[in-house]
Amino acid sequence: MIESVEARVAAASPDTTAARHDEFKTFVARYVAPCAEQWDRDQKIPETVLAMMAKCGYLGSILPRDVGGQAWDVVTFGLLNESFGRGSAALTGVLTVQAMVSMALLKWGTADQKRAWLPRLARGEIIGAFALTEPEGGSDLHSLVTRFSESPDGLILNGSKKWISCAQFAEVFLVFGILGQRSVACIVPRGSPGLHVEPITELMGFRAAGLAELHFEDVRVPSANVVGKPGFALSHVAPVGLHYGRISTACSALGLLRGCFEESVAHASRRKIGDTTLGDLGMIRSLIARMGSDLEAGRLLCHHSCRAEDEHVPDAYERTLVAKYFTSRAVVRAASDAVQIRGAAGCHGSSAVSRYYRDAKIMEIIEGTTQIHEDMLGKIFVDQAGRLGPGADSREQA
Amino acid sequence: MHTPTSESTVAHPENAAQVKETIRRFILSSIRMARLDDDANLFESGVANSLFAVQLMTFVEKTFAIDVDMDDLDIENFKSVNATTAFVLRKKGHLGD
Repeated sequence: MIESVEARVAAASPDTTAARHDEFKTFVARYVAPCAEQWDRDQKIPETVLAMMAKCGYLGSILPRDVGGQAWDVVTFGLLNESFGRGSAALTGVLTVQAMVSMALLKWGTADQKRAWLPRLARGEIIGAFALTEPEGGSDLHSLVTRFSESPDGLILNGSKKWISCAQFAEVFLVFGILGQRSVACIVPRGSPGLHVEPITELMGFRAAGLAELHFEDVRVPSANVVGKPGFALSHVAPVGLHYGRISTACSALGLLRGCFEESVAHASRRKIGDTTLGDLGMIRSLIARMGSDLEAGRLLCHHSCRAEDEHVPDAYERTLVAKYFTSRAVVRAASDAVQIRGAAGCHGSSAVSRYYRDAKIMEIIEGTTQIHEDMLGKIFVDQAGRLGPGADSREQA
Repeated sequence: MHTPTSESTVAHPENAAQVKETIRRFILSSIRMARLDDDANLFESGVANSLFAVQLMTFVEKTFAIDVDMDDLDIENFKSVNATTAFVLRKKGHLGD
C-alpha cells in the first residue's frame, strides 16, 4: 500500500522538490516545448518522448517504490504537471490518465491486480486510460448506460465510452458500468476480444492526447478483473481516480497559464509602438496584471490542494475541486488575453498562444466541467454554512 | 474549507465512546442534517455530497491510522455513526469497551 505520509514528506525536502521542479522544466524546455506545435499538427505524441518520460520516472512518479514507482509526494507530482502544462497541454493528458488509473488500482485493486499492472504502469511500459465518460452522459457519473451482465466465469461488458484521453495508445482500460443496480469498475486489457478502439481526430485542443471512443461488444471480463466491489465503483473507485485527475489537470492548467503569462510579458516588453512598447499601455497592463495575479493565486491553490493530499486529509477533495475550478477558468481568460496581446500574429496557427487558446478551453471540460464543479462546490459551501446553524446537532444543544 | 481533521488527528481515541464522538463530529462537519441519530443511514437520506464516501474513508484512515482496502468495501461498515464506529474498532482490534 501507499507508504506512510511521514515517509513521503521526509523523502522530499523543500530543496529536493525545488531541484526536481527545475529538472522537470529543463526536460520540458528541451524535449517538449520545441515539438509541441508539431505534435498538435500531427495529432500524435511520439513514442520516443513517452519512452524518455518513462525513463525519468515521470509516468510512475507517485506510485510507491515497492511497485517500481518514484514515491514522490503529491506536491512534486503537481510541479511535474505544471512543468509539462507549460510545454504541451496534450502531453499532460498522459500524466493525468496514468495517475487516475494507477491510484485507483493502488487503492482498490486486489493483490493480484496490483502485481499484474502496477509495476508496468510505474515503469511507464504501458499507459492506462480511465474509461468513464459516455457518448450521451457527459460528466454525469450516474447516467451510465454501459452494462455488465453476469456469466458463469465473470461478467460480460457491452456499451460505449467516448472522449477517453490516451485511449489510442493505452494498453489497459479502467472501465465503469452498471450491473443491475450496482456500479462496477473493471480492468479491460487492450486487445480483449470485442473491444474496438476508434480514434477521435480533429479536436479543437488536446489534439495530440490520443482521444478515442471505445466500443465493447460482449467483452468477457473475468471476475478477477473487477476493481473494488460491485456497488462501489461510483462512490469509491471513480472518486479516487478523478481526484488525482483533477490534481493533475489543475496543475497542468496552471502550467499553461504560466505559458500565457510568459509569452504575454515577453511580447509586451518587446513590441514597439512608436517610441514606447506595448507593455507601457495601461490597457495591456490591465490584462497582464489580471493574468499574473491569477497565476499567483493558482499556484497557491494548487500547492494547497497537493499538500492536503500529501497529508491525506478529507479536505483534499474540496481543495482540489477549488484548484481545478480556478485554474481551468483562469487559463481560458489568460489564453484569450494572450492572443489579444499578440494581435493578428496570435491568431495564426504557427503561434504558441493560438495553441494555448485552443488547449485552455479543454481544461475547463475534462475531469468535470466548470458547471459540475460549481454544482459540487456550491452544495459543499452551503452545507458547511448550514452545519453551523442552530439545531445542527441536538446533542450539542442539550 | 472546514478543517475538523487537524484537531481530531492530534488524539488517537482509544475507547469506543471517544471513537464514536470523533466520527460524529466529522460527519456533522461534513453534511447538513437537522439532527444526527447514531443509526441514521447517511447514504440513503441523500444529504451527503458525492465526495462524502471517500472523505469519510479518508478521515477514518487518517484519524485512526488504519487502511481501508477493497475487502472493507461494504456499506455496513460506513452507513451510520454506529456502523463506522464498529468498523474502526474492529480494524483497531478492539472488542469495544
